[in-house]
Amino acid sequence: MIPQRFEYSAPKTLDEALGLLAEGAKPLAGGMSLIPMMKLRLAAPEHLVDLGRIKDLSYIREQGGSIHIGATATHHDVESSALLRGKCPLLAETASHIGDVQVRNMGTIGGSVAHADPSADYPAALQALEAKLVLKGVKSERTVSAEEFFVDTFTTALEPGEIVREVIVPVDGDGTGTSYQKVLQPASGFAIVGIAARVRKSGEKITLVRIGVTGLANRAFRATAAEKSLEGKTGSAAEVQAAAAVVAQGVEANSDLHASADYRKHLAVVYAVKALNAALSRIA
Amino acid sequence: MKISGSYFLPLPPEEAYKKLQDPDVLAGAMPGCESLEKIGDDEYRMKMKMALASLSGNFDGKVRITEQTPPESFKLMVEGSGKVGFMKGEGVLKFTPKDAGTEVSYEGDVQVGGTIAAVGQRLIDGTAKMMIKRFFEKVAA
Amino acid sequence: MATTTITKTEKLVGKRIRRREDPRLITGTATYVDDIKMPGMLYAAILRSPHAAAKIRSIDVSKAAALKGVTAVFTGKDTEQAGAVPCGASLPGLRVPHHHLLAIDRVYLVGHPVAVVVATDRYIARDGADLIEVDYEPETAVADPEKALEPGAHAVHPQWPDNVAFTFHQEGGDTEKAFKEADVIVKQRIVSQRLVPNPMETRGVVADWRAAERSMNLYSSTQVPHLVRSLVAQILGMDENRFRVVAPEVGGGFGAKLQIYAEEILLAYISKKLQKPVKWIESRRENFLCTIHGRGHVDYYELAAKRDGTITGIKLKIIQDLGAYFTLLTPAIPTLSVLMMPGLYRTPNISADIVGAFTNCTPTDAYRGAGRPEATHGIERMVDMVAAELKMDPAEIRLKNFVRNEEFPFPTATGLVYDSGDYSAPLKKAMEMASYDALRKEQVEARKQGKFMGIGLCAYGEICAFGPSPATPAGGWESATVKIEPSGKVTVLTGVSPHGQGEETTFAQIAGDELGVDIDDILVSHGDTSLVQYGIGTFGSRSTAVGGTALYFALQDLKAKIKKFGAMLLESEDVTFSDGKCVCNKTGKSCSVKEVAAAAYRAMKLPPNTEPGLVATHFWEPPNFTFPFGAHLVVTEVDRDTGGVSIRRYVAVDDCGNILNPLIVDGQVHGGVAQGIGQALWEQAVYDDSGQLVTGEFMDYTMPRAHMMPWIESGHTITPTPVNPLGVKGVGEAGTIGASPAVVNSVVDALSPLGVRHLDMPLTPEKLWKLIASKDQAGSNA
Repeated sequence: MIPQRFEYSAPKTLDEALGLLAEGAKPLAGGMSLIPMMKLRLAAPEHLVDLGRIKDLSYIREQGGSIHIGATATHHDVESSALLRGKCPLLAETASHIGDVQVRNMGTIGGSVAHADPSADYPAALQALEAKLVLKGVKSERTVSAEEFFVDTFTTALEPGEIVREVIVPVDGDGTGTSYQKVLQPASGFAIVGIAARVRKSGEKITLVRIGVTGLANRAFRATAAEKSLEGKTGSAAEVQAAAAVVAQGVEANSDLHASADYRKHLAVVYAVKALNAALSRIA
Repeated sequence: MKISGSYFLPLPPEEAYKKLQDPDVLAGAMPGCESLEKIGDDEYRMKMKMALASLSGNFDGKVRITEQTPPESFKLMVEGSGKVGFMKGEGVLKFTPKDAGTEVSYEGDVQVGGTIAAVGQRLIDGTAKMMIKRFFEKVAA
Repeated sequence: MATTTITKTEKLVGKRIRRREDPRLITGTATYVDDIKMPGMLYAAILRSPHAAAKIRSIDVSKAAALKGVTAVFTGKDTEQAGAVPCGASLPGLRVPHHHLLAIDRVYLVGHPVAVVVATDRYIARDGADLIEVDYEPETAVADPEKALEPGAHAVHPQWPDNVAFTFHQEGGDTEKAFKEADVIVKQRIVSQRLVPNPMETRGVVADWRAAERSMNLYSSTQVPHLVRSLVAQILGMDENRFRVVAPEVGGGFGAKLQIYAEEILLAYISKKLQKPVKWIESRRENFLCTIHGRGHVDYYELAAKRDGTITGIKLKIIQDLGAYFTLLTPAIPTLSVLMMPGLYRTPNISADIVGAFTNCTPTDAYRGAGRPEATHGIERMVDMVAAELKMDPAEIRLKNFVRNEEFPFPTATGLVYDSGDYSAPLKKAMEMASYDALRKEQVEARKQGKFMGIGLCAYGEICAFGPSPATPAGGWESATVKIEPSGKVTVLTGVSPHGQGEETTFAQIAGDELGVDIDDILVSHGDTSLVQYGIGTFGSRSTAVGGTALYFALQDLKAKIKKFGAMLLESEDVTFSDGKCVCNKTGKSCSVKEVAAAAYRAMKLPPNTEPGLVATHFWEPPNFTFPFGAHLVVTEVDRDTGGVSIRRYVAVDDCGNILNPLIVDGQVHGGVAQGIGQALWEQAVYDDSGQLVTGEFMDYTMPRAHMMPWIESGHTITPTPVNPLGVKGVGEAGTIGASPAVVNSVVDALSPLGVRHLDMPLTPEKLWKLIASKDQAGSNA
């Protein structure tokens, strides 16, 4: 478990870091995925730029009706943030499911989403929240939606030299309930399937449904057919079941030692029911 | 690991068949391919640089085409090895006319060994699918 | 957990005393192999094969050798004459592959060592290994033992095309007759899957050749330092008395360090060659591939029974996945399964066959339980199946067939003599603790609601306290020395080599009671061959039963001597030694151990026929094994939607004879149960068809973790053994042996309304979901 020789920089400012990244260096955030790969020599970056010392990159704050989360906010920061727990509980709940305590203390939201592991937890929530991601390069800054950002297995909309600078999630008012339900792969702690549900009601009627699915396919996605199926309904058991039933429809599901494609699709349905019911029950 | 799937190319079968044997096309389409050098009849030496998320590695390998039955099918074998392990893919490509084009279907086996086999277990299936998809997209482009 | 404070006159044995070794472990101040640093020390990295089977066409080390900082590179050609990895087991007709330290012209498993690079630091050593170019010619591999035995399978060793390393047959009684006269015969194929032992500390070796003294100092994370010394010295032709082996702190072994590994021999060889200390630390990745695996059985069982539930005969065919070559005990492990195949039952007729199959995989060898978990799993599954067939309660059939109390010592059909037992006691106690009858009633209700609730029993027995020397490959006795220093402080040197079992505490309890000294005045030392008299080591739940007994006898010798000095000092013939004092029975005058020690070393005057000093050494040869037993009861529920198993209750009642320290016994049971549940539900070493270990890291190999464990309700019954004066039987492996059948029986019971009679481990949710879904489907179609 001995990495190859590499150069290490720990700049204090974002501009300095972006300058180094533009020259081909690789960013290091929490290192929860990168460092193990380096130890196994599966990854051998020549130059690492540690983003951990950059001032003002780790924050969670409300701004213009949304919550802005800096790239190096740890999973623990997100999980325990009173602001998020109060105004965007789905993200805090999702963070609490990531890995274990050690991973949550080290791992960061920016690093996790940029890595785009197809079984990571955050992407499901970010899809359900229709989150925005601010991508920053040495000379550019742009904002993309979660839908645009997660392209494929380990593949995102990030261009070389860019980092995820900030994640922006909405503040849901009264009438919205959310839940993240996950089937854990017991060895790694990654999601075999994770379902993030966000449901809004006006009176008895469901006015908005967003379902983010991770672990099932090559990337986290929104189950739009299931969303549409439930919108306009009241959320009866039969309606929830009918919506969940189409969560995995037409999806080319992942398959590995821990869960075949068929089992994953089945679990997606079972956990979509759980997530939707929990979300409905939490509507204040 | 078994792999199978199909991809539509907007070309007649004869052309699709030829295109998928053209070393320039293969070199341009195979993910990470840096060079493809002919070393025999339908046999090439290949250098690849694979990069996926934080994983990266150089592979030296071979591409071989056998069992040719133009324009219906041939067998494609790709193998490579590097510090992080080795991989070997073998599959039969079949060409069937469809909607003024060709449906290319493939069926085969992928074998991965070394460190990547032990730590990338949950990702091999998805990665293989993605690589194949990218390959066909580039061929079609 | 409550612990006890001891007042001076109280006995230490039997108390919940906290482990004296723990403070250094939990504060990170203990010294493991990797903590050893020496001036001028070099570091070794090993290049290993990525192929399960391949010819080596060529190896080019020139780039590695040219790397700045690389001191030397060794390949198989350089070390061919140095020796081979030894196997200590012998069986008639056994084919023993010569396992070179480094591959010569072929590799036969992933991880096969090919070259060693030695450099000034471990990073350069690894860089060097990456620069070695090996031209392999891959061959087809075989990774499944049953496939290996099929005609035409790839030969792991070309000289043995059938892949059969040995066959073994044993029988007792008249099995054919029993089967002919049986009312029911139940047959089942049962798999005990391959497991990776995964001690917390991987292996590691530091070899330090001291030319001036012509002596080798070898530090290794091992359970058997003296065996390592004898064998490595012999293999390398070095003088045993100038060969010191030290097992420093060892972070767990579970049998995986009851071995002589290639690296121990290689490092000693290289250190002498280079005249420098050399260190090698195994990576976790190497540990998965290159340290032994456990289990790896495919068992074909047949049980014959009478209608009343009397089990009259057992037939068993074991196909043992041996791996590609042998480590110290590889072929002997399945013979232990045969010895324990009747379990706790009276069954007089047995017939067993073993076929040892070579595969292109890591060798299997002793892993916590070593052969007995497989045997217990098999018989306990089969007894449940017979009960189901006869519609008997699983408790009833067990109680009916147990060896009866008046039958001890009980000779088994496999040739053992069970020492002592009250087999129904732990089962009855477990059922009482769990309210068995109420649970069965609850189960009836749960089933009405469509819930899959299961109640599983396991009554296990095991062979422990290895063992009488004739039955153990390297001798089965144990040794102890007790020294009372001039100051009165006590040093115990034990030949066992504890690495987590807590003997620094339990042995201090024994010595403290016998000598009447404060536990804090006793030091228990072990693991250094230059300090400790020859010993065998720690494995097979033997340390306390054999090593503790050696200590007990050494203490008796020493007490006799103390009494002599006491008599001299008190000028009386009528002296009693107790509670740390010699007391004159006439005058009531006394002298302490401390005063005796001072007199014994000052030696101004000596008792008649008595030498100065207070030291006693005892080597103890046990007359028999011990046979602990117990019963586990597990309540599970299987989720219909996902196939997930939840353990609602876990009751473990163990009988390990007398208990020296209940806290340590509980700890051993808890750890063992965790490993047994691990096998039942999660753990598996999975090889693909080409011989790649695909669960080769913690990303895919599911180790049980604290949050995955149920609360364990522990109970004990106590049936002392007559085999040793302490009455202790051993408890290191008990939990592992009892857990897997109890869990599986519980889940099979849960799913029995679907017609399920057997399930192979691990009981992954997908496996159960598929089963439930298919039965539900079949049900709705019907």
